[in-house]
Amino acid sequence: MANKFKSVGLVLALNLRRDWLKIVFWLLGLGGLMTAAAAKFDGLYSTQKAMSSIAETLSTPAMVSMFGPFTPKPPYTVAVIYGAMMMVFMGLFAAMMNVYFAVHATRVEEDAGRTEFILAHAVGRQSPLAAAILELAAINLVAGVLEALGLQAANMTGGSAAGNWLFGLGLAAFGFMFGCFSLLLAQVASSGRSATILSYVLLGGLYVVRMGTDVQNPDLSWWTVFGWIEKLNLYTKNTWWPLLLMLGLSAVLLVAAVALSTARDTGAGLIQPRPGRARASRFLAGPLTLLARLERTSTLIWLVSLFILGASYGSIFGTVGDLVKTNPAIGQLMGTGALHAAGRTMVLTFANKLSIIFAVVATIPAVITLLKLNGDERGGYLELVHAKPVSRLRLYISFLVHAVLVGSAALVLGILGMAVAGSASLTATPISIARYLRAFVGYWPAMLVTLGVVMVVIAVLPRLQAWVWAIPIYGVLSLYLGNMIGLPEWATKITPYGWVNLVPASAIDWGAFAWMTALGLALMVAGYVGYKRRDLLTN
Amino acid sequence: MTEVVAINHLQKRFGKFEALKDITLTVNSGEVFGFIGPNGAGKSTTIRTLLGILKASGGSATIFGQDVWTDAVAIHKRLAYVPGDVYLWPNLTGGEVIDLFLKMNGERHSAHTDELIKLFELDATKKCRTYSKGNRQKVALIAAFSSDAALYVFDEPTSGLDPLMEEVFQTQVLALKRAGKSVLLSSHILSEVERMCDRIGIIREGRIIETGTLDAMRQLSRSTVRVTTTAPLADIAKRPDVHQFKAEGDHTATFAVDSENLGAVITTLTGLGIVTLQSTPPTLEDLFLRYYNQGGEHDGQ
Repeated sequence: MANKFKSVGLVLALNLRRDWLKIVFWLLGLGGLMTAAAAKFDGLYSTQKAMSSIAETLSTPAMVSMFGPFTPKPPYTVAVIYGAMMMVFMGLFAAMMNVYFAVHATRVEEDAGRTEFILAHAVGRQSPLAAAILELAAINLVAGVLEALGLQAANMTGGSAAGNWLFGLGLAAFGFMFGCFSLLLAQVASSGRSATILSYVLLGGLYVVRMGTDVQNPDLSWWTVFGWIEKLNLYTKNTWWPLLLMLGLSAVLLVAAVALSTARDTGAGLIQPRPGRARASRFLAGPLTLLARLERTSTLIWLVSLFILGASYGSIFGTVGDLVKTNPAIGQLMGTGALHAAGRTMVLTFANKLSIIFAVVATIPAVITLLKLNGDERGGYLELVHAKPVSRLRLYISFLVHAVLVGSAALVLGILGMAVAGSASLTATPISIARYLRAFVGYWPAMLVTLGVVMVVIAVLPRLQAWVWAIPIYGVLSLYLGNMIGLPEWATKITPYGWVNLVPASAIDWGAFAWMTALGLALMVAGYVGYKRRDLLTN
Repeated sequence: MTEVVAINHLQKRFGKFEALKDITLTVNSGEVFGFIGPNGAGKSTTIRTLLGILKASGGSATIFGQDVWTDAVAIHKRLAYVPGDVYLWPNLTGGEVIDLFLKMNGERHSAHTDELIKLFELDATKKCRTYSKGNRQKVALIAAFSSDAALYVFDEPTSGLDPLMEEVFQTQVLALKRAGKSVLLSSHILSEVERMCDRIGIIREGRIIETGTLDAMRQLSRSTVRVTTTAPLADIAKRPDVHQFKAEGDHTATFAVDSENLGAVITTLTGLGIVTLQSTPPTLEDLFLRYYNQGGEHDGQ
């Protein structure tokens, strides 16, 4: 037994040596976000009136679907508001960090052939997995402690050491639990890529289910696992025992992962790859169709996910817009007609917020495709293609076309999902699907500009290409949380998504559409000029 | 004879590092040109520059008389390439990759393709993720041999192949040669180069230090002589054209002789009364090792 885990310390040291810079970025990012937001909150919500107002907003179904249920009772404190608003959001980030490190420490290393090399030494069969578990535990623990210390330093009104530590360590346990899910899925998947996809399908699925149960009946959120982060009752009752639930499930997942890992070969998942076609289909004939074929599965998953995400949000529009039911007293005062109109405005404003999310999420598969241009070049996959009569322009355009098509399809499906489900649930004051689709026309050029910037970075600064993720991440942060953490107006204008008006609530600004589209295309052309001139990346 | 590949004082810098300092060589129509050199000498960099993947920092290179950078697409229509490290998309099968590469050249899967798949014993229905290095090389080789190009560029194509498959590779290259195709073959397997190549270029630290036929290179090099004579051999060691003299007693010795002076040395030896004499022309391996071990000295000439 001891032999199975021999030299686990060495493997762990090697992992940390490899990952330390990424770990530092994640920890500073998560800890910094927590601390900065907490420090800002005291100024934002200094009066009971401001707090009541935000509490009311957070209690609306629209906000519940995004931030989780708002359970505290007045009188509110800054810390209580902070806890209720940040937990789901931070939990999502913590889970994403863990998916990344879990898959990278296991299957990505195996795919690269490094695990084989390590196992050829006096290293136990299970040591890489054990080292991954220890690495995740260490990262989460340090992240949790940093977050708690950050909250201590921010010293919010109404905050307490118990609440601060519960928040930090709760996030640590929550993140670790999703890391364990990923470690388990990494045993099943056929490659690192599919392990990441499966992990995100699970994370996204649980998040969406939680959204539904939170709006309908928060008690049911217990069954969504994701909902456990909401049950900590931060800064009110400070319930610690959901932490034990998270750690308990983590332990179960780890036992399963270790058991499955003994049943599989290094570099292969439990799902064995089946033999495929002996000949290429008529469809597979050039770089564009090659991309479409390679990305087939993940494209399909993205498109379906966006539609489901849109439909899940749309399905609560009935609740969001039904002000008559939620405010019968006001209804009598204003008359149902006026209330319906107000409800309609509320739904459209909510639809605008959601459209930003869809636009940013739809940008992700597009950016992944674009980054593959350099990634596949560096990985050697494109060397043989470059030796064919395929010009750089054709290759460049193929990647762009694929990215723009997938991004556009994902965006339109997200909005359509919202529109279809919204129309079904919003019977009192129907909004036409064409009205919802204004959001597509509005946000599509913002996506184009983002992809243009990405292309310039890929062409001119290939080493820094991972930094382009800052654009969508900042986009979500500034526009999703911007209002509530009091981000100044100019700061929301840094990202192209902030240049769009409030479609579908407002009318389409065709002028903005035209100049943003032109800017996006110009950036893409500029990228090509750089790409054409430089050496291709070789390994 | 027309020049298919013409490289003139080609240079390539990566930042401060000069990967190629001065590469000049030509590959003529219908010949198999062997490109040899140690790891890191610049073979792959030269080939990648020829393919327009890297941009030259100086000098010029043309294929079919067209510039390798600006006319890459036109050149690639008549060129087939197999890299040393073949990376294939993990979720495609070998068969799909072969067909894709053929289609990118405007060609089709033919009976010859099927024949090659059989010859190289490739299971084309397997996903590339499950292929070994040798099998990935087979995929690239089948795609290259099955396309009708004018120039074939192979960058250490047999490093992962077993001896039987290497034999298949050599047969196919010789078939190309018979068909009048031009081949640029970079290799570490000197017996392979010796057997197939009409001319050879040797590269070291980014410079071509020798090009020519194997015979001509042998002329420039030294033959190994082992001789037993009736008279003592001691004086032979003092000749300037005799090197690495190793005596085994007074009458027997092994030494190297500059090939152009072999006749003169043998005349002297005859005067000493030859009992046995063995003369071995240098193998490519001897040449190779000599160029590397004495590279600095050679550069000074």
